[in-house]
Amino acid sequence: MVELSTQIAGIHFRNPVLLASGTCGYGQELEPFIDLTAIGGIVTKTITPQPRPGNVPPRIVETASGMLNSIGLQNPGLKGFVEDMWPYLCGLDTQIIVNIAAPTIVEHGEMAAVLNDVTGVAALEVNISSPNMRDGGMLFGCRPKASAEVISAVKAATGLPVIAKLTPNVTDIAEIARAVEGAGADAVSLINTLVGMAIDVDVRRPKLANITGGLSGPAIKPVALAMVWKVSQAVSVPLVGIGGITTAVDAIEFMLAGASGVQVGTATFSLPNTAADITDGIRKYCDTHRITDINSIVGTLVT
Amino acid sequence: MTSCDRMLKDDESEVLANDEVAANFYLIRLFLPQTAAVAMPGQFVMLEAGSGTVPLLRVPLSVCAADVSSGTIDVLYENMGPKTAILSGVKPGAILRCMGPVGNAFLMPTNLPVLVGGGIGVPPLLFFGNVLSEAGVQARLLVGARTETKLLPRALLDSASADHVVATDDGSAGHHGFVTELLQEMLEQDHQVTVYACGPHSMMAAVAMMCRDHEVPCYVSLEEYMACGFGVCVGCVVPLSRIQTVHSTSSYHDYSRICVDGPVYDAREIDWDGGHTIGSHG
Repeated sequence: MVELSTQIAGIHFRNPVLLASGTCGYGQELEPFIDLTAIGGIVTKTITPQPRPGNVPPRIVETASGMLNSIGLQNPGLKGFVEDMWPYLCGLDTQIIVNIAAPTIVEHGEMAAVLNDVTGVAALEVNISSPNMRDGGMLFGCRPKASAEVISAVKAATGLPVIAKLTPNVTDIAEIARAVEGAGADAVSLINTLVGMAIDVDVRRPKLANITGGLSGPAIKPVALAMVWKVSQAVSVPLVGIGGITTAVDAIEFMLAGASGVQVGTATFSLPNTAADITDGIRKYCDTHRITDINSIVGTLVT
Repeated sequence: MTSCDRMLKDDESEVLANDEVAANFYLIRLFLPQTAAVAMPGQFVMLEAGSGTVPLLRVPLSVCAADVSSGTIDVLYENMGPKTAILSGVKPGAILRCMGPVGNAFLMPTNLPVLVGGGIGVPPLLFFGNVLSEAGVQARLLVGARTETKLLPRALLDSASADHVVATDDGSAGHHGFVTELLQEMLEQDHQVTVYACGPHSMMAAVAMMCRDHEVPCYVSLEEYMACGFGVCVGCVVPLSRIQTVHSTSSYHDYSRICVDGPVYDAREIDWDGGHTIGSHG
């Protein structure tokens, strides 16, 4: 019997496989396809203080082994989330991490204070890494000082565990990771999408109405893996690996590189049950390699 | 129909046939009993086109026919992009993952139904025409295409409507001009109709305006680039007009997700100038 349960930032997960923000909505849409008790948890689509309409379509374009998106954080806002989405989410038998973003440092704290009083929230993941937010997201996350200020404001407003979600669109992601660790982040999740672009040469126009978007999917996995490895050498808080994870082998790679848990994102679009399949695959890997506790492989890369 | 509709399944399906029925148009028959039992005209499937990571995402394709007794659905597609090119090479016996039926369906009309199809927007209207016919209602079918070779075979059109009329942009078959010109003529003679349209965005926008001017009910089936097909990616959106409708109560506000809130909308619900929308799947 393999032990798959794990503790990350003080949160107990039945297994280390979570669904990434922006790829599982607010849980309900996945109900026909996936047994949510088979996965470790869900990270909600980003919520902002006020509702956001999102970007003009086209918002999606497929690229080689990946896709670009410029959704633009379309969401019902904090109030709409708590009133309309949370009643369903909090009834699910899995850990629910709420992903937040805001245009100012103060509003990050205000959101955290509201969510602190919402029963059943497992943790907050702070999106300082969206490439599709003109007034926040990556604007904070590409600067160490601004990243730290956001995390400090959130930490000051809540006793919930706080996970900082980092952007890969920086010169040195380890520097950002150290900054958020210093500001009190309980864990770091990485990576968000890479800024990318695609052009329709027949009409000489960008394929996304927003011109650029965020690249995700298997195409970015090697980049994500290298960044997880790099950050694992720089901080001592637990890491959650994200980026193109499609198979159990992918997940194991991230864990060997130093991630205590993983998030499955784009793969859910192609096959909604991917995260549960990955959990099964991790169990088989452990059986094959005579591993009794999945936590024992974290950061054990031989170099 | 809601996003957590329990009819929606993601299953493996066996390909029973995949034949070129006209130049570059293919009819794929899938053994998918659960979907065949419940699929309605207007709904679509998310079909896997090859395994691996290229292509990464599935292709959304409208259901063209569903047969409960044989447990099959038919999908008519045009080989027009990398995914449909791969799909066109799939042999009978192959197993493809298929999610369906996705989305809502055309509402039944209370008066004469007029179906307006452009290009590869015609297949869901064939399904609708056949269902109407079984219910004893004869639909009028107006079919537009760029040129004769882009028209579906006559046998398929006949099955949906005995008195279909064709228009081609270049005059190589039927009326020389746009299909919307045929509709305009009809609307000037008869206001007791309900219009259903599926095709390029510009065609549907023109149909919507025409129906508004003649005060005729109009339903459109929309499409957009789609990643998931079950509402989580929020990619396939259409801007809604400001009038209060069933869709404007959506928690996603101004932009409605075509995969779970559509693909069929009352044409008045759509903000036709509010955003670029593509006209075809790849």
